[in-house]
Amino acid sequence: MSEPVSVPAPGAPPTPTGVIHDIGYRHYEGPRLGRGHALAALTLHSLRGIFGLGRTARGKIMPFLLAGVMMLPAVVSIAVMALIKRQGVSYPSYAVTMQAVLAVFLAAQSPYLVAPDLRFRVLPLYLSRPTTTADYVVAKLAAMALAMFLLIAVPLTVLFVGELLVDLPGPPNTGDYLAAMATSVIYAVLLASVGVVLASFTPRRGLGVAAVIALYLLSSAISAVLVGVLMSVSRDGAAAWAWLINPFFLVDAVQVWLFGTNPNNDGGYPAGAGGPVAAVAVLAVIALCVTALVLRYRKAASS
Amino acid sequence: MTILATEGLTKRFPRVTALDRLTISAGSGVTGLVGANGAGKSTLIKLLLGLLPPTEGTATVLGLSPATQSLDIRRAVGYMPEHDCLPPDVSATEFTVHMAQMSGLPRTAARERAADTLRHVGLYEERYRPIGGYSTGMRQRVKLAQALVHDPQLVFLDEPTNGLDPQGRDDMLALIRRIGTEFGISVVVTSHLLGELERVCDNVIVIDGGRLLRSSSIEEFTQATQSITVEVEEGQEALAERLTAAGQRVTAHGRLLTIDVSSPGTYDVVRDAVCDLDLSLVRLEQGRHRIEDVFRQEVSHV
Repeated sequence: MSEPVSVPAPGAPPTPTGVIHDIGYRHYEGPRLGRGHALAALTLHSLRGIFGLGRTARGKIMPFLLAGVMMLPAVVSIAVMALIKRQGVSYPSYAVTMQAVLAVFLAAQSPYLVAPDLRFRVLPLYLSRPTTTADYVVAKLAAMALAMFLLIAVPLTVLFVGELLVDLPGPPNTGDYLAAMATSVIYAVLLASVGVVLASFTPRRGLGVAAVIALYLLSSAISAVLVGVLMSVSRDGAAAWAWLINPFFLVDAVQVWLFGTNPNNDGGYPAGAGGPVAAVAVLAVIALCVTALVLRYRKAASS
Repeated sequence: MTILATEGLTKRFPRVTALDRLTISAGSGVTGLVGANGAGKSTLIKLLLGLLPPTEGTATVLGLSPATQSLDIRRAVGYMPEHDCLPPDVSATEFTVHMAQMSGLPRTAARERAADTLRHVGLYEERYRPIGGYSTGMRQRVKLAQALVHDPQLVFLDEPTNGLDPQGRDDMLALIRRIGTEFGISVVVTSHLLGELERVCDNVIVIDGGRLLRSSSIEEFTQATQSITVEVEEGQEALAERLTAAGQRVTAHGRLLTIDVSSPGTYDVVRDAVCDLDLSLVRLEQGRHRIEDVFRQEVSHV
């Protein structure tokens, strides 16, 4: 019958243990940061969402599977370099070789970025905070572009580090690596704007996925068929232009023009005007997509 | 202190006029905005947040103009929409933290505030589960938490009791009362049930078809519409006769008698009458008034 805990010494204050204090409502006195902070927070949140971080395990499968596939050529190349001392896949050809994987990633993840906010009507919550529609569009585009950049740049960098470690005979291909890194920025911005704008037109994810993948298949098929037909009638000049219908070869043409790398198609791109025209086309597509996005969200905001 | 005011505020959509020269003002505390569906309540909130431009007229919220200072208003105001607005695949904690950051709170502060706010609205362990598995009551709490997480000076709550069961409604109304008093945050709450708002509001604004029907403090409202409802097991005819004889205005609604309260003495008269007639009293309560009663009254005044 001795319970020393429950018998406080006379005069000593009672010492309760394990009591939850309801301290009531506390006002927030700390700093309130501006639009830039909110923009960065939304970009980071979206980027995490693209890779399924902070979401269910099912949401992580697709992005990480595709990111893993993107790494395969780099890993194989490093093995090849280590074993037979010859370069495997070249830096400037990496994105073009892996274009199908990039297209699938874009198609699978860009609807994830914008469709739920429209479908579950989260957008009004963003717009009732100090965030404008322009901020929202910029953050979403930046997140998708960053994701695409990571998808291309990480394998390139791993490959480059591998090359340095293996120490091939002759100087390292630093120039090619840097050219490919710069081009991956162009890839990222172009692909992100096309993917996000297509996905933003429907609140349903399935339709968004289908639209993006259909655009890629259509453009690459038209390009391939035209090239085949024009080559068979010996109009090689026209065939060189037909390559540019495929967005991946379009950016490759810009890469060839800017950095003097080897073209990654059969037969090269149009000489002379080809490079500048491709560059203008890339910029025009990006501008068109961003304008469409801003208009799309201005309409969504007022409804 | 006036927290919001409008002057001749008008909003015309291509097909309908949502607000028609609305002039209102509201002070701090809890203000109820009552109107039938389509009366223009949600449109008014969107105009006040600067999400829609008005066709005519002006407004001020916390002394700021939605037309030119909408970002400053949105920094100091919280908004709980009427519709569902929650992504199903993130947890309430993650969502609320993100929304706090979107209002400009640094990440660590956002985490603290989100945990505090979710506790205040009554979400505990379940806040780590994805929102997709929540009941309607829990969703309403998350919606409320995201509106409060950045400690606003004013919150707009659009139909917060929508879809809740009677217990959930009572909890939500008690929470709204706490926000207005204990938390010290001014509240504008919309509903189509006046009886519901009577319990939590300091002031009530009634709009219909985009026009102001009535704006007054809750005391004036209840004084003008006070009545009591009496239910006895048997002999309500005898009771009605006796009360009428005592000079009270009595109307019968089936088994219920409604008596207009002319003075505090009415309660005594009813009590004495029930006792003298030796009746079994089942119910004696204040009459609940629905928005329809106000409409009927206003129309009969015109």
